[in-house]
Amino acid sequence: MVFSSLLFLFAYLAVTLFLYYLIPNMKYRNWVLFIVSMLFYGWGEPLYIIVMLASITEAYGFGFLINKYRESNIKKARFYMVLSLAMNLASLLFFKYCNFFIENLRLLPFLTDVIAPIEGLKLPIGISFYTFQIMSYTIDLYRGQTDVQRNYVAFGTYVTLFPQLIAGPIVRYHDVDDQLTTRKETIDLFSSGARRFVVGLAKKVIIGDACAAYYEYFKASDAFADSAAGAWMVMIFYTLHIYYDFSGYSDMAIGLGRMIGFRFLENFNYPYISKSITEFWRRWHMSLGTWFKEYVYIPLGGNRVGKLKQYRNIAVVWFLTGFWHGANWNYILWGVYFGLILMAEKTFLLNALKKTPAFVQHIYSLLLIGFGWIIFSFTDASAGLNCFASLFGIGTSTFCTPTIGYQILHSLPLLVIGAIGATPLPKKLWDKLCTVDWISVGAIREDGTEEPIYMEKKELSVRGKVMAVATTVGTMAVFMVCVAYLVDSTFSPFLYFIF
Amino acid sequence: MKFNKIINITTSALFAFSIFAFAIAFVVTPDADFSEEENRSLTTFPKFSWDALVDGSFSSKINEYFADQFPARNSLVGIKGVTETLFGKGENNGVLLGDDGQLAVRLFTIFKSRLERTADMDYFYPDTVAQSVDALNNWAKSTDLPVATILPPRTVDVAASAFSYPTEISDALHAQLNETIAPEANYIDLLPIMREKYDAGESVYLRTDHHWTTYGAYIAYTEVMKSWGMEDQILPQDAFSVEVVEDFYGTTWSKAGYKFIEPETLEIWTVGNEDQFVTSCISEKQVKGEDGKPTAVKEAYKTFSGWLDRDFLTQKDKYGAFMSGTHNEQTVFLGDGNTGRERLLVVKDSFVHTMIPFLCQHFDIVVINLSGRVANITDYVEEYGCDRVLVVYNWANLIENNNMAAVQ
Repeated sequence: MVFSSLLFLFAYLAVTLFLYYLIPNMKYRNWVLFIVSMLFYGWGEPLYIIVMLASITEAYGFGFLINKYRESNIKKARFYMVLSLAMNLASLLFFKYCNFFIENLRLLPFLTDVIAPIEGLKLPIGISFYTFQIMSYTIDLYRGQTDVQRNYVAFGTYVTLFPQLIAGPIVRYHDVDDQLTTRKETIDLFSSGARRFVVGLAKKVIIGDACAAYYEYFKASDAFADSAAGAWMVMIFYTLHIYYDFSGYSDMAIGLGRMIGFRFLENFNYPYISKSITEFWRRWHMSLGTWFKEYVYIPLGGNRVGKLKQYRNIAVVWFLTGFWHGANWNYILWGVYFGLILMAEKTFLLNALKKTPAFVQHIYSLLLIGFGWIIFSFTDASAGLNCFASLFGIGTSTFCTPTIGYQILHSLPLLVIGAIGATPLPKKLWDKLCTVDWISVGAIREDGTEEPIYMEKKELSVRGKVMAVATTVGTMAVFMVCVAYLVDSTFSPFLYFIF
Repeated sequence: MKFNKIINITTSALFAFSIFAFAIAFVVTPDADFSEEENRSLTTFPKFSWDALVDGSFSSKINEYFADQFPARNSLVGIKGVTETLFGKGENNGVLLGDDGQLAVRLFTIFKSRLERTADMDYFYPDTVAQSVDALNNWAKSTDLPVATILPPRTVDVAASAFSYPTEISDALHAQLNETIAPEANYIDLLPIMREKYDAGESVYLRTDHHWTTYGAYIAYTEVMKSWGMEDQILPQDAFSVEVVEDFYGTTWSKAGYKFIEPETLEIWTVGNEDQFVTSCISEKQVKGEDGKPTAVKEAYKTFSGWLDRDFLTQKDKYGAFMSGTHNEQTVFLGDGNTGRERLLVVKDSFVHTMIPFLCQHFDIVVINLSGRVANITDYVEEYGCDRVLVVYNWANLIENNNMAAVQ
């Protein structure tokens, strides 16, 4: 089930909120969440619930063993941790990567007839996300950053919690362990959650899907009239699409979390305003970046080892980041591509860039990000290469046809809105107009600290009051427009589902 | 209480209320089977089965069901239409919004092969069109009867000026047809005539529907008559009295979701002798013959006087009144069809429905709808003893399917 569906909003969410707030006791509220989250998952993957439950049970069980030995016998604790991680990873490897390996091994002549891909093996939705969450529990526990979770339902709720189950953000266990049993739902948190949810829904349904449609249009029109302008539009609209799609989803997840008393970390921080690729990866899909940093990069020695090893660490992390996104060569290439850029930036590029004017740094970053999205979006390498060549007029028949020109002209307003919306400008303007930051109630800062839940220090000015009312009315109006788009929707894919 | 608190309570309450209100309204309102406004069947609650759940088809049907049966669906569709306009996209659901409320479908699902179609595209596959043209040419070369072919252009081709829409693709398709259709098919190129009249402010194509107006059909009729050397028999415009049907919204309007567009009118042109004609809708069914083997027998399942089915005029699908909508096989005869008039076989799509009223003044007509089946024109000619053949198939059909490639 996806958040941006009528079924989710008006059947699933309605019932979930009703049941959740009907029950006064936190313990049973977790029961509600656990059960409805399983339904949420089972709706799309009824059989794979078993796989998920097996992973949960396995990590839950090993948790006791790790906890038992982690102070008395660290070797034993380590053994159980590795075993637990191995079992979790085995499941991910099998369901996600098995056929990829088999297909590539089959390219070796002497193996072609020996092995065959497993038929009917479908990727369980969200397995990449929940496997990483489960692993974070095992590692956090081993490191002593958290206590063992004795309550199966609380642990199950952590993994299956429907807001972040299938497309993140990847919540690390030690960030929410307290919230699992002692969170406090408040009206302030709920309303900020509702606002955040509507923002995310609008990003996805009104802007993201429209960008996706333009992307598809320009990509398809390439088969009829290949033009350089069309190729640029393919790149630009994919860049916008994936941001609005994915950050919109994260907004919805964060918003839904707040409605039931959870506070998740932010997942995006205006990635497209970055002045370098290094900065971009601190702003894009932050929960994944943090996960790899904490559980792979730092354990490998991070920056505190020799130069050569540092490069090795970057290579490992970026290969894995790419591969995590999908069992296909283009994702690996995409990861390696960014790995190489990051190495170059680390060596000399970052220093050189800092001497250039800001707009050069922005253009540099956006171009490299855009080229990256071309690698990312074309699973077919030759099609991707063609698109890339078209950007520079190689192999194109024309710069622009009248029809593509017409389309560009009419997609321009969306492009501009999309571009401005990807910067902090709208939010800054809003905050300024509102005079108090009551809208960002309950947000969690990048460093993990929470903003105070209630920022109002003095009585609101008249303008503040007007803006507060306007925000409320606006939120509901935008929500209705989103519903209208859902009712009359023909095209609404969710990108991060396939990972 | 602080102002913030009031605001937060209000926001929470409104959000929760809107979710519950729609949910409850959805449950209590009865499901509709058909949407007049959109002129299509609506999805009803899908049948549950474990297999359907596992393969995901149940989920996708449920989502369609929710969208189709959602409370206030028509208003919400309208809200989206307005919002899309504000974005300056110039279109919604692939329908262009032009001057004076002119609508035109711009994006089609174009046909490459039975397995490959490209959705939401404004181009066409020249190869698909070539297949159709080849079949048409081959058949035309094989027959001795007088033939005429008209391929009505789409609204977007004719009314491009209303949208400042480039004519590049229209012109490419236009050129391909002009260059490749064999002289034997007697192809009548309508695009320049229709475009010229449209640009001169004459109403040749409907505003809210993909068809032409009755006047547009009249022009096509005169062109066909001229091509057969029968210009002296053409009925002049002033020979007709015009009945105007108000409040017509066509299929393009349904697709577009632009609820703010004004309705248009549909014209019915008559000369006064309409009740002398009989239209029969014919189906074929298998019965056991005398020798026990199944044989195909044709029978009329619907017969009415004239060519107008007035029942449709009170519904939304008013265009369906002409020829009572689309049927596989129809005849429009004067009396019993044995008055010695020439017989015309029409192989067609729905564009011809508004032309038949003119043509039936000169010919007894046999109408064959060009669908996915093999269309053996020669067989029909023999069966009904036809003297002439007219092929009418519009450009949208030409690029969206290859039905015409089945002509023989």
